[in-house]
Amino acid sequence: MSDSAYPDALPGQYRLHWYVLERVLGQGGFGITYLARDTNLDQPVAIKEFLPAEVASRRPDAAVRARTAEHDERYRSGLDRFIREARTLARFDHPNIVRVHSVFEHNGTAYMVMRFEEGETLAACLERRHALPEADLMRVLLPVLDGLELVHGAGFIHRDIKPDNIHLRPDGTPVLLDFGSARYALGQPRTMTILVAPGYAPFEQYYSTAESQGPWTDIYSLAATCYRAIAGRPPMDAIARSKGILGSAKEVMVPAAAVGAGRYSESLLKAIDAGLAFSEQQRPQSIAEWRKALHSAAAPAPAPRTATPASRPAPDPAPQAAARRPGWLPPILWAGAGAALLGAVLALPQLMRPAANTPPPPAAVAAAPAPVTPQADDATRKRLEALEAQLAEERRRREAAERAEAERKRVAERPRPAPVASQPAKKPPPAREEAKPQPVPVPVVTAAVAPPPAPAPAPVPAPAPPAVKAEPRPADPMALAEAARARGDNAEMVAQLRRAAAQGNAEANFRLGDVYATGRGQPQNNLQAYVYFSLAALDGHAAAGPRRDALTALLQPAEIQQADRLVRERRRSSNERKG
Amino acid sequence: MSARAKRAAACLALAALAGCATDARIKSAIEEVNREFKAQYEEILSTQGTREFRAPAAETFPAVQAALTRLGMRLESRDPELGYLGFAAPAPTPLNDEEWQMVAKADLPMMQNLAARHIGLPAYFISFEPQGLEIVINATVIAEGRRSEVSLTARMRQVKPPPSGMPRRDYAPPTGVRIALEKIWAEIERELKVKGRPI
Repeated sequence: MSDSAYPDALPGQYRLHWYVLERVLGQGGFGITYLARDTNLDQPVAIKEFLPAEVASRRPDAAVRARTAEHDERYRSGLDRFIREARTLARFDHPNIVRVHSVFEHNGTAYMVMRFEEGETLAACLERRHALPEADLMRVLLPVLDGLELVHGAGFIHRDIKPDNIHLRPDGTPVLLDFGSARYALGQPRTMTILVAPGYAPFEQYYSTAESQGPWTDIYSLAATCYRAIAGRPPMDAIARSKGILGSAKEVMVPAAAVGAGRYSESLLKAIDAGLAFSEQQRPQSIAEWRKALHSAAAPAPAPRTATPASRPAPDPAPQAAARRPGWLPPILWAGAGAALLGAVLALPQLMRPAANTPPPPAAVAAAPAPVTPQADDATRKRLEALEAQLAEERRRREAAERAEAERKRVAERPRPAPVASQPAKKPPPAREEAKPQPVPVPVVTAAVAPPPAPAPAPVPAPAPPAVKAEPRPADPMALAEAARARGDNAEMVAQLRRAAAQGNAEANFRLGDVYATGRGQPQNNLQAYVYFSLAALDGHAAAGPRRDALTALLQPAEIQQADRLVRERRRSSNERKG
Repeated sequence: MSARAKRAAACLALAALAGCATDARIKSAIEEVNREFKAQYEEILSTQGTREFRAPAAETFPAVQAALTRLGMRLESRDPELGYLGFAAPAPTPLNDEEWQMVAKADLPMMQNLAARHIGLPAYFISFEPQGLEIVINATVIAEGRRSEVSLTARMRQVKPPPSGMPRRDYAPPTGVRIALEKIWAEIERELKVKGRPI
């Protein structure tokens, strides 16, 4: 794994017992997931290594150790929990839950061995398709609900559901992946620092106590995933929502009922909004409860798609919810009552720390779903329509590039002799390959929910792995970026986009801006997004200017100056090269 | 202060101050602190936010990365073609405990006085809450012939809301910004000197 995008990863061909690592599949806050080969059974597996970057790091001898003595207890505790979690997950045998084969300790950390699933993530699918039609969305959602219900029934919550953690097999069936931040046993306190997915994590998940978390927490994340699938973007982050509800920020979340009106059935949109209720008490409390709401949407004949007369948020079930699960606000907060107490809470955070363990969202937050004006609805719809038109155009271009790239690959690979392993493998490839075609290490990219117009890569006949990569070839970096995106290799996609951007390609600059603005494939960074949108705008990309302008509200004046300086410098050097 | 003493002080303060601070006043207090911190932050950046080094960008860029990393910052984004590096770390990094105490000593009274104009006495119970905040540092390196210009900005990123759920201020304490910048510049200079180049 010489990939510089994963500097903490173990190297390629590294052997863990009888598993030989092949490449990094991904890295999250709690660890790194590798594609590996089980040399005993001669089959690919996915191995997750526990490496919580915040508290631990890799040593030169490959061992993982707590960063400091102070971190040691947290690291040990997290490690124990990781192992316990793997053991419990191994008990689940459900087609829509990732299958855990084994767990073992090595290098001062632990490794969870899981079935390797081919296909692509829902995130990749959504990035390609922007949004999913209702029928496709339900084909993903309902099986995930089944799996999740089993998990909840065993006292677990996933706590990290998002499109990146839902995998779509080539046949379209979903698998819930990465229980990496799952924490055992409802009600137990968590000791690891929280790691949440902005937009997909509910407000209660930003706190370290588990009391306010439960199935409703996963329901929020799943509803947020549905929102992403209908709106083309995730819902507003829960902290930003809290600010909007408090009135300290202008933005409020536009409900699914408004975003998807006319395109999705009202019952589905209502169910999504119910799942996205800000207060956990107002959400469906169990999968069964939420499924009921969804079932009408999943009926064979969906609700008529005519435009709904009004875009309104889900009804406010506050009274029932309040009776259902008391104890959300700690008693001491109610005792003071009113604005004076809010002031005191603000003023005394240090002194009140013991009471602060149970988070007290202000009363306004508990009572009010985000208000949305009809004007806001119209504006949102218009923006969406404009965006959709633009994305459709981009999709057409991408698909053409994909077709060109697939054709180019076929031509490039046809005359090659039999593949030869590029690195000395520790074990020779097994003869079983011939009898049973094995998946190549790179996941086959297929559109699980609905195939794209581009031809799917042909199945690899049966040469011995590791498959020889196509020679590095002089090719259009945009086409290479598309190919990388299609196979889920975000690091390569960004590298190719940067190559194209350095050549003054406006579309590449725009797409880099989008990558950094949305945080898809790279850490979200508004300053970089601003720079790339600015460069795209200067090169005449019509959609870039508004995107850049929208970011100015999120950046400091000093950051904008800093970014503008980079833009000028980049333009200057680019002009010099051209000149 | 012991936990019991803290609780006693809290109860006393609650009893004494009930009815004093409204939502609107709290909001005004936060805005005033933000305004002042922002003004001071921009003033500091205007004098200390950019430095020129007698080293080409190709050398300065990795030196900036090494320096910030050595100060405990985590590299989040690296864009050599653009000349951009993004770092983050839990607050108060890159300050150590001693430096953080200095910041609190210098800036907390100022913040309390600013807030007191709006919410009165409760303002004097406010303290800095670095918990749940990350310091994000943007570093840009621009080639100036055989020299290079490095520019730094910093912001706070909330990864966990305060227990009250109320919004936080947006800008870091000015003394903290000043000390952090001095540390970073010194570390970059040290890094470039190690490579044998006069600064």
